[in-house]
Amino acid sequence: MGDKTTILVTGVGSYWGAQVAARLLDRASSAVHGRQLTLDDLHVLGVDSVPPSMEIKDLDFIQTDLRNPLLKELFISEQVDMVCHLAFDDDPIPSEGSFDLNVMGTMKLLGACAEAGVKKVVLRSSTAVYGAKPTNPAFITENHALYANHNHGAVRYLAEIETFCSGFRRQVPDMKLTILRFASIIGLTVDTDLTKYLKQPHVPVLLGFNPLMQIIHEKDVVEALVFALINDRPGIYNVAAEGILPLKKLIALAGKPAFPVFHWFAYWGQSLLEGHRGFDPFLPIGLDYIRYPWVADLNRMQDEMGFAPQYTAEEALREFAHQQRLGKYLSIESARKLDEERLRDILERRRRLRERQIISSEDLDEGAIP
Amino acid sequence: MSDEQNAIEQDILLNVDDAPQETPPRDSDEPDVGVEGGAQTELNAEIDSLVERIREYSPDYEAPSYSATRLLEVLGEKIQSRAPELIEKARSGPFSDFVDPDTWKGIWFMLNYTIEYQADFFKRRARGEYEVDEWGYDPEFVGLFKPFIEFMYAKYWRVQTTGIEHIPEEGRTLLVANHSGQLPFDGAMIGMAVMQEHVSQRLVRTLYASWFPTVPFVSTFLTKMGQAVATEDNGNRLLEQDQLVAVFPEGVKGIGKLYKDRYKLARFGRGGFVRMALKTRSPIIPVSVVGAEEIYISIYNAKIIARMIGFPFFPITITWPWLGLLGFVPLPTKWFIDFGEPIPTDRYALDADNNLNLVSQLTDQVRNTIQNMIYDRLAERKSVFTG
Repeated sequence: MGDKTTILVTGVGSYWGAQVAARLLDRASSAVHGRQLTLDDLHVLGVDSVPPSMEIKDLDFIQTDLRNPLLKELFISEQVDMVCHLAFDDDPIPSEGSFDLNVMGTMKLLGACAEAGVKKVVLRSSTAVYGAKPTNPAFITENHALYANHNHGAVRYLAEIETFCSGFRRQVPDMKLTILRFASIIGLTVDTDLTKYLKQPHVPVLLGFNPLMQIIHEKDVVEALVFALINDRPGIYNVAAEGILPLKKLIALAGKPAFPVFHWFAYWGQSLLEGHRGFDPFLPIGLDYIRYPWVADLNRMQDEMGFAPQYTAEEALREFAHQQRLGKYLSIESARKLDEERLRDILERRRRLRERQIISSEDLDEGAIP
Repeated sequence: MSDEQNAIEQDILLNVDDAPQETPPRDSDEPDVGVEGGAQTELNAEIDSLVERIREYSPDYEAPSYSATRLLEVLGEKIQSRAPELIEKARSGPFSDFVDPDTWKGIWFMLNYTIEYQADFFKRRARGEYEVDEWGYDPEFVGLFKPFIEFMYAKYWRVQTTGIEHIPEEGRTLLVANHSGQLPFDGAMIGMAVMQEHVSQRLVRTLYASWFPTVPFVSTFLTKMGQAVATEDNGNRLLEQDQLVAVFPEGVKGIGKLYKDRYKLARFGRGGFVRMALKTRSPIIPVSVVGAEEIYISIYNAKIIARMIGFPFFPITITWPWLGLLGFVPLPTKWFIDFGEPIPTDRYALDADNNLNLVSQLTDQVRNTIQNMIYDRLAERKSVFTG
């Protein structure tokens, strides 16, 4: 028992917690990333106020709220080594409830981790915390100041958590705190601002604006979180897929028609509709986020973190578009063409993955000869 | 009942069919009246007799045509008799190709192909099948606008470029130029000058003011042309990628100059471009653009309107806004773009970009060099429009 690594995943009742816990416990694929982990030396604890909706084999589930003052006792008695904090409410409309879970919950959890001597904490954040500004550099590095949109609930709370974390890191230098800032997430199963935006029949854009965008596939989000847990990578990292696309190309690849709106009317409409439930899924985060670029610099992800997403941006979009088209009537030719395209993407991805595995196993071999 | 009706109908039809055969062919000289009857027949006879009486005096007289049908008949006869002659004339004339049916077939084929190709181009772009680099540079899009810029460069402003050989064939280089002309045509012309005259036809990455991304279409256009917002991060990254970067340190103060202040350089920013050059150890090439100050004659800067619509300045020129969109047409002045001697930066220490004294000193040096280059060119220039 003492040799086992105990990883505690919060928010297993929601999508990301369940996915990460399942990925950690998936014996077959945990050989990726160069480090072999087996179930014998891994103990995964799941914590949430609701049980996970999908069945996760071997998950040690404890039903409790994150803000429980006894959380520290749980960490000590279970000898928790690492925490992956994913209990987060992505609600775009700010409310006391989501503030209490997102900001207060994270602060209380980090406090409990510090007192219980947890060695490593991994948090999920977003590149939206940089904010979309005309003065943004074309590639925003991790040191850039955070000018997040304060009208969007989740992004506002993420920026607040990040500000708190920069102070917390100084107070508790022994703890390895990893924050991964993900670009807009796209995928077949996940429900994010971007997928909601692209699932509309007509996708609104601002007339005459076509900023460069970055995305990441849902599977790569899970992979990156697991990668940060398995390897020691303290610090802040931007994580996004390879490939930067103009917004209109992104929408075209997702197979949707863009619907341009003059920006003065759009801002006027936004000021009227903002904060009203039912009108929020029109836009990914806010109008500024489809007007100005907020592309993150990925040098640190590639060089210091050593993580490489499996999906390129175009592949992720084509996969998404394929799913969207399934319900529609297609001519045999176009259906065949799409299928061919998709299989080519899959083959390319598998080839890349094999190459990477060979490289990482070579690294391991070299490391084994002292 | 029905049989009877059919019989009547057939009768009518037969009568109708027979009618033309029964009437005898009319004499071509006889005026077409169309209706037979007492008064008209008499009148016709009278006319005929009148014609005959005239012919007694002059046998060459021909009766004029009195009806539209007759007129058309005459016209048809004339054309039929003249047509082969006309076609022969056209075949032998200078426009003989247009008579050849093959020419029209060829034109039709060309048009068809062009339309198909263009439609395919737009269809492909609508499907998202095009490539941009990480800065958003879109070569296909640039191809659409290049002919216009080429025309402005070669024909409209007749740009004369000197010192292009100072730009190295490869490697990081920073071009520093004076800014003028109300609209940023000078950036496009410097880019065109390098693309046309330089041996390796390098792409110039111009750093533009962070105000432009707030303007619709302009922001998209500049991104697709491969330009970037003027931040030190962007400049450093581009220079580290060994690109050719152009900056206008005067910024909005320079481009919105009034006509009376022409060719007087404004403050050169905060020396950010020198820090970029020192940090990446790139040579600075001073560039002077002469001729762009006169393309719009700005007499007043309407700051109140500018503030209302969120622009940094709003020029009142002698044509804008009085002539509406015509006010955008620039004057066809003669332009001179001079590339000066490179100022090397690799002899300074590695952390020289933190040396504020050196930065401000170099900024002034570059500013004075460009100012002197402008004065030299102005002294040589005899006319604004012909050089």
